[in-house]
Amino acid sequence: MNKENPQKIEDLLGDTLPTQSETEQISYVAIIGIGVMGRGIAQAIAAAGIDVLGVERNQDVAEESMEVIKQNLDREIQRWAITKSERQSILSRIKVTDDLEQVTECDIVIEAIDEEFKAKEDLLTTLDDLCSDETIFISNTSTLNLTKLADKTNRADKIIGMHFLQPVPKVPLVEIVRALKTSDDTFKKVKAFAEQLNKTVVEVYEYPGFVTTRVIVPMLNEAMHVLMEGIASAEGIDTAMRLGYNQPMGPLELADTIGLDEVHTWMETLFHELGDLKYRPCPILKKLVREGKLGKKTGEGFFKYNELGQKIL
Amino acid sequence: MNILVLNCGSSSVKYQFINPDTQRELAQGIVERIGMSGAVLRNKRHDGDEIAISGEILDHAIAIDYILAVLLSKNHGVIKDKKEIDAVGHRVVHGGETFTQSVLITDDVVKGIRDNIELAPLHNPHNLRGITACINHLPDTPQVAVFDTAFHQKMSPYAYLYGIPYSLYRRYKIRRYGFHGTSHRYVSERVARLMEKPYDSLKLITCHLGNGCSMAAIDGGTSIDTTMGFTPLEGLLMGTRSGDMDPSVILYIMAKEELGSSEANALLNKHSGLMGISGVSSDMRDVLEEAQEGNKQAAHAFNVFCYRIKKYIGAYAAALNGLDAIIFTGGIGENSADVRMKSLSGLSYLGINIDESLNASAKNEMKITTPDSTVSVYVIPTNEELMIALDTMTIVQEKEKAVV
Repeated sequence: MNKENPQKIEDLLGDTLPTQSETEQISYVAIIGIGVMGRGIAQAIAAAGIDVLGVERNQDVAEESMEVIKQNLDREIQRWAITKSERQSILSRIKVTDDLEQVTECDIVIEAIDEEFKAKEDLLTTLDDLCSDETIFISNTSTLNLTKLADKTNRADKIIGMHFLQPVPKVPLVEIVRALKTSDDTFKKVKAFAEQLNKTVVEVYEYPGFVTTRVIVPMLNEAMHVLMEGIASAEGIDTAMRLGYNQPMGPLELADTIGLDEVHTWMETLFHELGDLKYRPCPILKKLVREGKLGKKTGEGFFKYNELGQKIL
Repeated sequence: MNILVLNCGSSSVKYQFINPDTQRELAQGIVERIGMSGAVLRNKRHDGDEIAISGEILDHAIAIDYILAVLLSKNHGVIKDKKEIDAVGHRVVHGGETFTQSVLITDDVVKGIRDNIELAPLHNPHNLRGITACINHLPDTPQVAVFDTAFHQKMSPYAYLYGIPYSLYRRYKIRRYGFHGTSHRYVSERVARLMEKPYDSLKLITCHLGNGCSMAAIDGGTSIDTTMGFTPLEGLLMGTRSGDMDPSVILYIMAKEELGSSEANALLNKHSGLMGISGVSSDMRDVLEEAQEGNKQAAHAFNVFCYRIKKYIGAYAAALNGLDAIIFTGGIGENSADVRMKSLSGLSYLGINIDESLNASAKNEMKITTPDSTVSVYVIPTNEELMIALDTMTIVQEKEKAVV
């Protein structure tokens, strides 16, 4: 028998069809936009053994993202977390294209493009025409109104949000965001998908900041105020919170890790959406962002860092 | 009697269709990449006919559909009707303390296997999937479960308890279980036949050296100790697993390298063993080649591997208070004369005399010691599938007798 050209079961059996699958496993996922967030999601999905189609129009972004994923996986090998052959098989599961039409083959479509309402609206309506009626769309938005976006399509019940935290492959949590019309069936399927990715799911309703951003922001802001008011040194604040409350990282280093510009944007968004003064960005944060000291990614924020992102004491 | 033997993994199902009376293998094959794109079944019939079938094989139930379809196929199959499958034998990795031998599968047995999922989270769920699928597809065909751990279940508490608080044994059943039981049992039974002595009179040490490696001390047909423990990580050095070590080493590494438990787990299971020491390969053939070309790390890997086997031979000779034969099996055990020679060198005190030319040319079932050697050493290819088929046949026949 020709092994290169395997037969189909129909060739062998005529019209005797095998039983249908009882479990709905997701085996092929499209991610539209593989920038910083998209590539993290792509890596996490491929690492869970699921094929990924990355759709990216910008060739430079596509190449950079694949390079970053390779570097991430190399670092994982150095940390003994995966083997070289696992790296190979993870990479082999990620395919990148600039052709949006290919997403029709996928079980689920995740959009991770820039946070602009019009851009997302255009994309979702295009996808709405392109994909089968059954396909679930997952939006990665954390600031835009998901219910409004969903209403622009003919499948508001099949649109749902997934809020991953950075670095996506490492953080074992995902918030699944229900918009007004998201159906229970869609939620159930996406929850099962998240579990396929080995992520613990927290169900949240659409509201600014969900759980994670909403709760961490006031703490980061408060730590900055404590620093500004001269109550303790940056090192002192982080040590107190690390040891006192068993946090793996103090709040100021955490802000540096997230990126101070990102933290600043979160605060502005929550401040505008909810109007409460507790979200108003601390002046010291504004100052650092103005100076371009954005944390680990620029080598300096509240602390200084070397190229590996380790704190210089 | 025709038995279908199934070994269900996370994304694969291996199968053999065997007649244990004649020990004839009618067909064998594997379904790979279940639930992924490019899923394929490869079947090989006894007459050499080979076929590959690709398709949307989304889960174990569909995989078993495909297997049945091939066995029944006009051009490539071996049977005409499902009824010609007299029974199905399933390999199940972990039977915990629940199962001390192979059993006919009933609702209670399924529950028992499910109860032991926590002890083998990577294996038992897939084994169960295969069982459930077969019950649905072949509701009238008896199914038998054969456990990797069952053969070692008669160990005494002094052999299976760890030196940690007893409450942890009570709470989480943390103890030595041992694995490869089907293989250890098969080769030890075979050796009794070859030696023409009653199985229950022999003191044996079996060395299963494959991808995973373990040894067992078998006294009169009962495994009284084995090198693998709570998980298959303990004992001998393996391709990528560390085997025995001071447990505080891993705590020290975790602190030094800031590793989490999943990374530490991967370090010990995937980056250690022959691969870790040699830095070259997890395959003994590559390691030996490198060692012969003067690679010191590769030589260390080979030496650690063999020394540990030798150390356990000594330990088990003491545990058994005597020794009739040592058996080598598994990919390395069956094929590497160098590993056997090195592991058995300097054991003349125990009365082991290797015939170097026999050892070098060992093939199939063979004795490799000189006639004056008081302890015999055998090379015996393992056949877990046949053992599973034989157990399945015995249990089904007993069931039929009971009904009559």
